[in-house]
Amino acid sequence: MINIIVGVADMKVSDDRGAILITHSLGSCIGVAIYDPVAKAGGLLHYMLPESSLDGIKAKKNPYMFGDTGIPLLFKEAYKLGVKKNRLQVIVVGGAQILDQKGLFNIGKRNYTLLRKMFWKNNVMTDFEDIGGNTNRTLKLEIESGQAWLKTGGMGVKKIWKE
Amino acid sequence: MERIERIIEEINELRPVSEIGNRVTEITSNPNSSLTELVDVIKYDQGMTANLLRICNSTYFGLKKKIASIKQAVTYLGLNKVASLVVLGSSADNFKKAQAGYDLNEGELWRYSVSSALIAEDLAEKKRLKNISLIFTSALLKDIGKVILSAYVKDSFEDINKAVQNRGLTFIDAEKEVIGIDHAELGARVAEKWNFDSFMVDIIRNHHDPDKAPPDDLSIPIVYLADSICMMIGIGAGSDGLAYRYHQDIVDRLNFSDIDLQKTIASFWGKIKSVEELINLSKGD
Repeated sequence: MINIIVGVADMKVSDDRGAILITHSLGSCIGVAIYDPVAKAGGLLHYMLPESSLDGIKAKKNPYMFGDTGIPLLFKEAYKLGVKKNRLQVIVVGGAQILDQKGLFNIGKRNYTLLRKMFWKNNVMTDFEDIGGNTNRTLKLEIESGQAWLKTGGMGVKKIWKE
Repeated sequence: MERIERIIEEINELRPVSEIGNRVTEITSNPNSSLTELVDVIKYDQGMTANLLRICNSTYFGLKKKIASIKQAVTYLGLNKVASLVVLGSSADNFKKAQAGYDLNEGELWRYSVSSALIAEDLAEKKRLKNISLIFTSALLKDIGKVILSAYVKDSFEDINKAVQNRGLTFIDAEKEVIGIDHAELGARVAEKWNFDSFMVDIIRNHHDPDKAPPDDLSIPIVYLADSICMMIGIGAGSDGLAYRYHQDIVDRLNFSDIDLQKTIASFWGKIKSVEELINLSKGD
């Protein structure tokens, strides 16, 4: 098995049966994993901030820094591997916040709100979500089986249920 | 011996900041000190000089000219920055190891410390504060208490975690309740033992409790905000995660908007490669 690390503000897709996509240190950032069990291919995105309008130059240089530019690219790149939207399993985790962090400063919540809007608009359903709270998360996706694992700071690793 | 006394006793097992580091901090905290004084302190230590020049020439600073002497470094980067880099180049030892209680792998606490120091420095420059190198150093060393407390957090993790999860305590309040002392207080004791300026001791002690800062102080809010930014972007967030208190009024004191917050995050991450290089150089790899 090869571990393919998806860094912060990064995205990887794969149809390599021996690959595991893994992203660490999801604080207020969001991790999105998509997987097609027929194509046996998927992808993993780790974005930091909601909207690319903050800094167009940075968004162009690294579209995975922002949700509104990273999410469409995750799907587009996965489609190139034969992934079909109607077969997709979708996992979304992260968006944590510091205790009492409210309003505009709550980047975790804003990151998630952006994703919800985009998914609603594009009719994407999620199969598993673990959002918010005050914990740090790690997400892993095995390409051959589609099995995913979530590690939550202080609470160990759990298998994410899949069909 | 009581447990807390035993914990405090362990301060003696840390490797103190070097004599040069201390002298440099003293020099920069004195507004009348000169460039020559700083250069004189550093130049006789060859190891320190070589290390400092390597750091100055790293891509983080993006200098077009290659820096070949300490004097040149001070001319190009300024007294404050060079002083910060001296401390940076001589502080990694205590921070490099894994901290199992906080679920931080080898090198992660150092990466976190350097990142929050760089962000704090950036914010302090934007606010045109004096004492920037002291703010940098305090932010760099603020979690020194974790190095000692980690083993105790590991032993008592279940109780600490229960207090956080079930009763909504912050991680640091839970440390204090379960172990008897928290990592910020312990860090302040370390700083006192090492004869740090009281300004730095206060920052270290209150870096999670900025509401205890004097009403006109901006240095504690800056170090606090830099730390919060690191947590949000997942740097150094281990078993304690983001379970600390957010103080909007303190952030407001800095006149810092949500756009400023996002821009600081984006700009820090934009230069992460050169930051990683700086982190590796400073730990002597």
